[in-house]
Amino acid sequence: MRRRILLIVSCILMLAACESYDCTLYNYVGMYGTFEQEGTAVQIKDTLTITSGKDGPTLLNRSVNTARLSLPLSYWQDEDTLVFTVKGEDYLVQDTVWITKTNQVHYESPDCPTTLFHEIQSIRSTHEFIESITVIRSSVNYELTNNLQIHLLPASD
Amino acid sequence: MNLPTICRYTCFLLLISLACTSMQAQEPQQKKKEKAPLLSGVTVSADIVGFAMKAVGAKFANMEVGARINFRDKYFPAAELGIGDCHKDGAETGNSFSTTSPYMRFGMDYNFNKKHNGNRLFGLFRYGFSSFKYDISNDTFTDPTYGTSVPLRLDGEKATAQWLEFGAGVETKLWRFIRLGWSIRYKFRVSIKTPDEGKPYFIPGFGKNDSNGWGGTMNLVFDIGKGSFKSSKEKKNGKS
Repeated sequence: MRRRILLIVSCILMLAACESYDCTLYNYVGMYGTFEQEGTAVQIKDTLTITSGKDGPTLLNRSVNTARLSLPLSYWQDEDTLVFTVKGEDYLVQDTVWITKTNQVHYESPDCPTTLFHEIQSIRSTHEFIESITVIRSSVNYELTNNLQIHLLPASD
Repeated sequence: MNLPTICRYTCFLLLISLACTSMQAQEPQQKKKEKAPLLSGVTVSADIVGFAMKAVGAKFANMEVGARINFRDKYFPAAELGIGDCHKDGAETGNSFSTTSPYMRFGMDYNFNKKHNGNRLFGLFRYGFSSFKYDISNDTFTDPTYGTSVPLRLDGEKATAQWLEFGAGVETKLWRFIRLGWSIRYKFRVSIKTPDEGKPYFIPGFGKNDSNGWGGTMNLVFDIGKGSFKSSKEKKNGKS
């Protein structure tokens, strides 16, 4: 009888000790995009730098041969302004992209980091080297699939 | 299947096998069948553990009272009402979660002990429901890229949850109409509706918000109404 009681108590103690944190393993929220020129996927071979506004943080610094973008959006601003700068050996071009979005708090647990999901509402840009931008998937969350397709102007000879 | 899940299932199977062995051991002794009255009384109970956890300032506690009707000392339709309380701070995240909300459960206890000697061995089933509000906050919530810091406050988030419980319990007579009982329960969450902003960490009456979990009670039970059922032996011997 004592053994049985001891076994039951041990089982209960084991149960009490079983606790785990179920946080999402990959918890980066990024807006993903690819480049296209005349219907073909392309890379930007020269140096690409993306900043938030003129004086904001640098989101992508001197990237070369860039085929895919992964950019964080601001937590609280309703509109993010991104400045794309491409610098070659003898040229420098800039385009500004405005992204209007919603901000949705995403809370999992007290033990997991809280973040924000976004819904892209509209997007527009200047046209120095960007022709247009298509929103493929408006939800910006933990998913790694593309949100934007950035159409570049045809290369001038 | 991860280690905690394996551990839970193993313990569940062990407890079931223990309950079965103790039931089998009692069978040869039950030669004379005793029959209890159809309505053998009513019991009210309180879960001591929940109140004790609240008293010592535990992170969460389910404080509940219950009532059961005793049919033939075998079937016990039961209702339990309680308040679930949880205040939890994240270890490194700065997140806080808090709720104090009611819950209810309905179900049935079945007494496997055929001898009416004051001890009961239960199998139990419950349906649980809670419609509750909770608060989420983080005073140091900062955008890691842009550096802006805005305190996060989501107050009065509403959620509803339903779940089922299966388990076993024992109950023993302490003195006259006072009993002490324990139960262990395996819980399955059937449904939960939460706002998009965030899931609750804790469901009142259920425990930590997960698809399943374990729970237990330690009840102080009072037999009222017709009182506790007296065995025929006790009646014959004139015992109280």
